[in-house]
Amino acid sequence: MRVVYKVLAYLVAVEVAVQAAVMVFGDAGLGKWVGQGGVLDKSVLESEGSPFPEVIGFMAHGINGMMVIPVIALLLLVSSFFARVPGAVKAAGLVLLLVAVQVTLGLSGHDIPALGALHGLNALLLFSSALYAARRDRGVAVPAQAEPRLGTAG
Amino acid sequence: MKDTHRRGARLRLAVAGAATVAVLGPLVWLWQDSLMPAAYSVMDMGYADYGGGPSPSPPSHATGPGHGSHLTTAAQGHRGHTDDTGRTTAARSVTSLVADPNRTADVTVTLVARAQRFRLPTGRSVDGYTLNGASPGPAVHATVGQLVQVRLVNESVPGGITLHWHGVDVPNAEDGVAGVTQDAVGTGKSHVYRFVANQAGTFWYHSHQVSHEQVRRGLLGPLVVTPARRPPAGTVDVVALLHLYDGARTVNGREGDVRVAARPGDRVRVRVINTENGETPAWVGGAPFRLVAVDGTDVNEPSPVRDTAVMVTAGGRADIEVTMPEDGSPVRVHIGGPGGVVLGSRSYDAPAAPRPARTLDLLSYGAPEPIGFDPERADRRFTYEIGRRPGFLDGTPGVWWTVNGHLFPDVPMFMVAEHDVVRMRVSNHSGESHPMHLHGHHAVVLSRNGVRATGSPWWTDSLEVGNGESYDIAFVADNPGVWMDHCHNLPHAAEGLVAHLMYEGVGTPFTVGGEAANEPE
Repeated sequence: MRVVYKVLAYLVAVEVAVQAAVMVFGDAGLGKWVGQGGVLDKSVLESEGSPFPEVIGFMAHGINGMMVIPVIALLLLVSSFFARVPGAVKAAGLVLLLVAVQVTLGLSGHDIPALGALHGLNALLLFSSALYAARRDRGVAVPAQAEPRLGTAG
Repeated sequence: MKDTHRRGARLRLAVAGAATVAVLGPLVWLWQDSLMPAAYSVMDMGYADYGGGPSPSPPSHATGPGHGSHLTTAAQGHRGHTDDTGRTTAARSVTSLVADPNRTADVTVTLVARAQRFRLPTGRSVDGYTLNGASPGPAVHATVGQLVQVRLVNESVPGGITLHWHGVDVPNAEDGVAGVTQDAVGTGKSHVYRFVANQAGTFWYHSHQVSHEQVRRGLLGPLVVTPARRPPAGTVDVVALLHLYDGARTVNGREGDVRVAARPGDRVRVRVINTENGETPAWVGGAPFRLVAVDGTDVNEPSPVRDTAVMVTAGGRADIEVTMPEDGSPVRVHIGGPGGVVLGSRSYDAPAAPRPARTLDLLSYGAPEPIGFDPERADRRFTYEIGRRPGFLDGTPGVWWTVNGHLFPDVPMFMVAEHDVVRMRVSNHSGESHPMHLHGHHAVVLSRNGVRATGSPWWTDSLEVGNGESYDIAFVADNPGVWMDHCHNLPHAAEGLVAHLMYEGVGTPFTVGGEAANEPE
């Protein structure tokens, strides 16, 4: 279970990186498209067609952020219960909390753009906390292995 | 020591298991609770909301939010009145709500739907759906009072199709909503729609089966109802239907400008139809204009404006009238961008004008006139509050739209009786704007954010409710049936932003899902 926990924690970090990448990918595609004469208004924004190919970045960001990452964070919390890594539950709880904050900030950013800026900053916090969670077992390898020995010794 | 350790390990495992159940248990419960049955009637969705009006006695159903189940059984549902003996009396079926069956049709059209790859005039190839080989489909023209009969043939569109007459207050059986007013028309089958075009104006038609996909891919077309009197000489009438095919913005299926000949002094009516999921601005370069109609209803005493944009709601229509300059210079009607309709007499060399900063406010445009009823003496007062929260929609986790705080399908069923005066406050705190479309009725806007309407009566069927906005609207319940009241950003409807308006004593035999695989959104 410790491996599962570790993999899930790293997966959250990887997903945050993917989120940053696809967002800028979409944004760059939008800039290029407008530069070539494309006009963006709500009708284009809400159209499910692809005015430019990079628009897939925005779609991926939404699905990944609102569905995939919350599910991974939730599974991370569950795996932390079984991982027997000191502080794992707290770390996974922090990750889940930051994911919830991140989704909220992302959606609020549609209304209040300044919260979108916080969404960008919180992404860094989330990335760090995911790495922190993934690396919780460093330095505890010895006591963890020591446990069975203690048992047999007793 | 060994035992102690084992016990400790077991205890730890038990605690971990309990914690897992504590975390996942409620989620699993919510998840399974959100799963929709394979077939259900929209009448059994959510809870009845009588809007302060009388409820049929004895109340057949909980009338407020907070009840246990969001899909009641048919016996508990709104299927019919229960009389004093406790016997459920038969309701009028939506299938009986039709135009006079003995009247012969004045306008007869056959529309054949195909799934095919087709080319836009600019050569772009689109993998989508056509009506009579083209998208947009042919314009259906009628004179006010005529009975329009459209035979829809589904040659090859998988999953079935329908046609909804957007903005026309047709009898309920002709409304074309799969699973509510009819079954989706499967491949090889056909369906006949009959309705009297009782209001002159600009409308459109589109599929209301898997509409978020079928409309986008081309199952749509314009519908124009003209007044009985012949237009005076020197008038030009042009449809400008906006649609995006694979992200390419088109007017009447053309990328780039649509050119229309008009002589100096001609009055040109440009009927802008927004078939998209988001609103778009329209503005005019080269001449002043008047906004003569909104959503198929004439504006009373529209004054000329210039350097002003008109926002055309998703699903909405705006008729823009331009008088051609006497000097023969061309006029450009922009629809959302540099392109649109160019009206020319000697040349079509009309330069693009940037979008004006000012936007026309329909709340104060035109002159007031009587609306024909008193909204202060409303029989029903409803609230349609749009929000957003995390949850499950038919098993899918996400952050979904809510109506009055509830996720689909636990949404209100707005119950009315025929002839009721109905008021509705539509408010939006969801973070995004929503073009709200009520089927079968036109509602008049009374106020926005508490500011009363002072202009021409603003009759609408597609109302853009921005985030943080609140509109008070009113209408007379004069068209019995079961009517959708949903967001016309069609993917939003598929994400649960759908409620219904239902008349007492009316029921539908159709179900969402089921053998016809009805999926109206």
